[in-house]
Amino acid sequence: MIKKINLIFVAILFIAQQGMGQEWLVPEDQKTLKNPTEYNLSNVKKGKDLYLTNCKSCHGDAGKNNGLPLVPPPPDVTSDIMQANTEGELFYKITNGRGGMPQFGSTISEDDRWRLVNYIRNYNPANEPVLVEAPPQKAKLLASVNETEKKVEVFAEVEGNDGKFLVLANASVSISAKKAFGNLPIGEVLTNAEGRAEYAIPKDLIGDEQGLVNVVVSLGEGFVTDPVILDAAKVGQPKQVPKLIKKEVLWSTNENVQTWLLLSYLGAVGGAWLAIAYVVFQIFKIWRVGKQQE
Amino acid sequence: MEKSKSPEESRKLLDKITFDLTRSIVKRDELTNFWYFFLIMFAAVGLWGWFIQIRDGLGVTGMRDYVSWGMYIANFVFFVAVSLIGFLLSSALHLLKINWAKPISRVAEQVAIAAVALAGIIIVMDMGRPDRLLNVFIHGRFASPILWDVTVVTTYLTISILLFYIPLIPDLALLRDKGTDDIPKWKMKVYTLLALGWKGSAEQYKLVYHAMRILMLLILPVGLSIHTVTSWLFAATLRSGWDTTILGPYFVAGAFVAGAAAVVIVMYAYRQRYNLKDYFEDLHFDYMGKLLVFVCLVYLYFNINEFLVPAYKMKTAEGIHLRNLFTGNFSVMFWLAQTFGLILPILLMLCKYFRKPLPLTIISVFVLIASWVKRYIIVIPTLEHPFLPVQNVPDHFKHYSPTSIEVMITLFSFMAALLIITVLAKMFPVITIWEYAEDKGIEKEIISEPKN
Amino acid sequence: MKTLGSIGAAGVVGGSSFLSSCSKVQTTSGDKIRLLTSSGELVEVDKEQLKPADMPSLTENQKRGRKGLPGRSWVMVIDLSKCRNARECMKGCQNHHQLRPEQHHINVLQMQDAEHTAPYYMPKPCQHCDNPPCTKVCPVNATFKREDGIVLIDNERCIGCRFCIAACPYSARVFNWFEPRDAEKYEGVTYNIEANVPQKKGTISKCLFSADRLRDGKLPTCVSSCPNGVYWFGDRNENAVTNGTTKETTSFSKLIKENAAYTLMEELGTKPRVYYLPPKDRAFPFQGEIEDHHS
Repeated sequence: MIKKINLIFVAILFIAQQGMGQEWLVPEDQKTLKNPTEYNLSNVKKGKDLYLTNCKSCHGDAGKNNGLPLVPPPPDVTSDIMQANTEGELFYKITNGRGGMPQFGSTISEDDRWRLVNYIRNYNPANEPVLVEAPPQKAKLLASVNETEKKVEVFAEVEGNDGKFLVLANASVSISAKKAFGNLPIGEVLTNAEGRAEYAIPKDLIGDEQGLVNVVVSLGEGFVTDPVILDAAKVGQPKQVPKLIKKEVLWSTNENVQTWLLLSYLGAVGGAWLAIAYVVFQIFKIWRVGKQQE
Repeated sequence: MEKSKSPEESRKLLDKITFDLTRSIVKRDELTNFWYFFLIMFAAVGLWGWFIQIRDGLGVTGMRDYVSWGMYIANFVFFVAVSLIGFLLSSALHLLKINWAKPISRVAEQVAIAAVALAGIIIVMDMGRPDRLLNVFIHGRFASPILWDVTVVTTYLTISILLFYIPLIPDLALLRDKGTDDIPKWKMKVYTLLALGWKGSAEQYKLVYHAMRILMLLILPVGLSIHTVTSWLFAATLRSGWDTTILGPYFVAGAFVAGAAAVVIVMYAYRQRYNLKDYFEDLHFDYMGKLLVFVCLVYLYFNINEFLVPAYKMKTAEGIHLRNLFTGNFSVMFWLAQTFGLILPILLMLCKYFRKPLPLTIISVFVLIASWVKRYIIVIPTLEHPFLPVQNVPDHFKHYSPTSIEVMITLFSFMAALLIITVLAKMFPVITIWEYAEDKGIEKEIISEPKN
Repeated sequence: MKTLGSIGAAGVVGGSSFLSSCSKVQTTSGDKIRLLTSSGELVEVDKEQLKPADMPSLTENQKRGRKGLPGRSWVMVIDLSKCRNARECMKGCQNHHQLRPEQHHINVLQMQDAEHTAPYYMPKPCQHCDNPPCTKVCPVNATFKREDGIVLIDNERCIGCRFCIAACPYSARVFNWFEPRDAEKYEGVTYNIEANVPQKKGTISKCLFSADRLRDGKLPTCVSSCPNGVYWFGDRNENAVTNGTTKETTSFSKLIKENAAYTLMEELGTKPRVYYLPPKDRAFPFQGEIEDHHS
């Protein structure tokens, strides 16, 4: 069924060498490839979405230099190292990967890979940025749960230029549920002109044993605010906890031993040792008879 | 049973029988001393090996995470196998009223006691934490085949000892009453003590027969269990080569082969050393030869089933295992064991000449060695080929080869088993005197009359 | 002063759970105490910093270790298309569980299912089967299944018969053939059943899904050490798994449905708790060399 594959350590060594020492060479004909997609807001935005799902986990947020501490370090998209690449080189590297950098040739379409290049180019000093991220604004977020209607009601405000808080309209609010190790996104909703939004919790959301959910409500990026955590909201289905360790299973402890097995074992062992005891008693009788005959 | 004889004749004959059969007890020469020295020295070396193993860990063996059972377990299975002969010779044949086996039954019991006792010790020597042996009794899990095995080994040992002891009582009384001055004093004391004030009354004989009958019946299921449960240690896993339903009967059949061969060897040794040609007669060897052929044929039948059926299908994992046995790393051992331990012995023993004492004993030595090798290739090849590839471990994890410590400890088990057999032969007659005398037509009254 | 430094650093990283995951070693001086962290490091801490409730005694530790975390049903999902054999999981695991270099609770295997099929890397932890062949055969109940699905080991109980190794079809178990790694260093350290440390000579060990870390609300070591997003881990009862690299949380049922997940050798009936996503559309090319395994 399975075959063994050898030379693991050679492989590691190979990766390490490639990763650490040499420069990443791109074939000449690839370097000069032209980007077939246009450098515009729509493509850069799409590129950004792709970046967030595929690249951010290692390269970090643009401009924050918060990539993973790997060897070699994954450079920030705004860095000189990244921007020194030609578009063709970026495309080649995204497509083929090397060492710790995955190959996206099979998972991201060619157009989308070019869109990623567009997104990276948005941070090139030589380019006019089309996607301008405004400095994050201070915001206030209020949220409450309507347990009877299983809804989350949100109200958001944003700090205006004069320091006063104004209603925040048309902002994306994401709703998630706290799970054992992280928040599970369950939906997004836009605030209306009054800065309000309502989100109906999906019926199949699972809570704890009582159906209680810790709902986390947060504003999209561009706003500085702490997420609102609505503790123990009774909006979910009670979590089913099927009993795992059942009675009469072979793999559990003696408490759950199968009756037939216990009875067979005790019966066989008890029977054998009773018979042995009986035989020992016969030996005793032999001795007694001998004594009586003296 | 022969015709009854006159009292005078009977007394004379009984004296001769007693004299012949106490020779093993009385005889003590240079060879005896050397034999004891030899056994004890090698056993001590083995114990030293065990000490090193306890001190440094089981890593002193060739076993590692993949081949985690090695020579010890193979050896354990071998000893369990050998012990099963007690069940066949002293119980099954007795109950079937097959008389020729009577004089051999004590030899069979000696072998059984030694083998099963050592099996128990070997399994402790295989443990990573022998200091926690009591956990098996404190925390024993009823669903674990190991618990069944521990139970059945202790039960079988107890029954074997009783089955050795009970027919011995009249003999002990006979030696107590008629023993010559050649027998050391302390042995006489032991006989007096163990004879339990035997008078030879009809009532006492009745009790002996009754107890023996119960033990013979009891040992049937227990004897079958001990080897079947041992096979389940393997068959209860999902591993290719072990994951088969016939492993139980396959082990039982193989056990008869190993045990019968061992008994033939011990019989021959007694016959030569203690000059017992008239007791372990050519006829007995002939019958034992026939018995050995019969169990070998049964074993061959199981072997065909065990290998032909999976080899016909060659399921992936089974195929790897079988290829390994037939043409791979273990093929030399496999084919040698099958040829010299099974096929050639069967062919030879079908001829009358090869059932004579010496040829049969030589064949038995081959059969016994082959059955040890057989256990080895039942245990190890399967573990060398788990379902998932063996990777990222040093090379010596991939193939098992026993270390000198393992050889030492295995040697200890053989020496200790031989030591037990020797001590039993030196302490007690190797044939049940009263039964034998009775068969020769001597009345019970004469057997139990006190020395004049 | 080095001591204080390590407390400070640990405090920042681990917070209060740092202390609860420690087990008592021995009192060295008047008010300092030596502790074993869940990452396997020995640190010295002020005695006052420790609450007694955080350090259960051996018996208490064994008792709660046998019970498991209430209401949970831990599962792992391994995305084979993301694995590039970086072996960070193996390294992290060996440090956490104090293993020798040749001992693997998790082992990244180079696999090829049939002659012409594509080779791939397969991290292989204990499968934490729901019909575990290993606990079935244990003669002393030293390995057992907990209500939260984890198959655990009590190496204070194990007699070293190695029947469980023979029974496990996944070769997931390792044995302490010699004195374990750094045996002198951990001498006298209270045994932590949920991490199976300190290891003991002559007893068994295997992957435990880092049960000690789960108690502290942390992902298993291998899951958090992976740089490539291979591992998802979570509670099947609440139908959510979290990726150890991206920290993204997703629906367990959706993840395994959409990716056609499978379990290893399901034909054996062991009912594993580790799910594999097929190595399709791979993030990294296979770099090893293949050789026929069995011949």
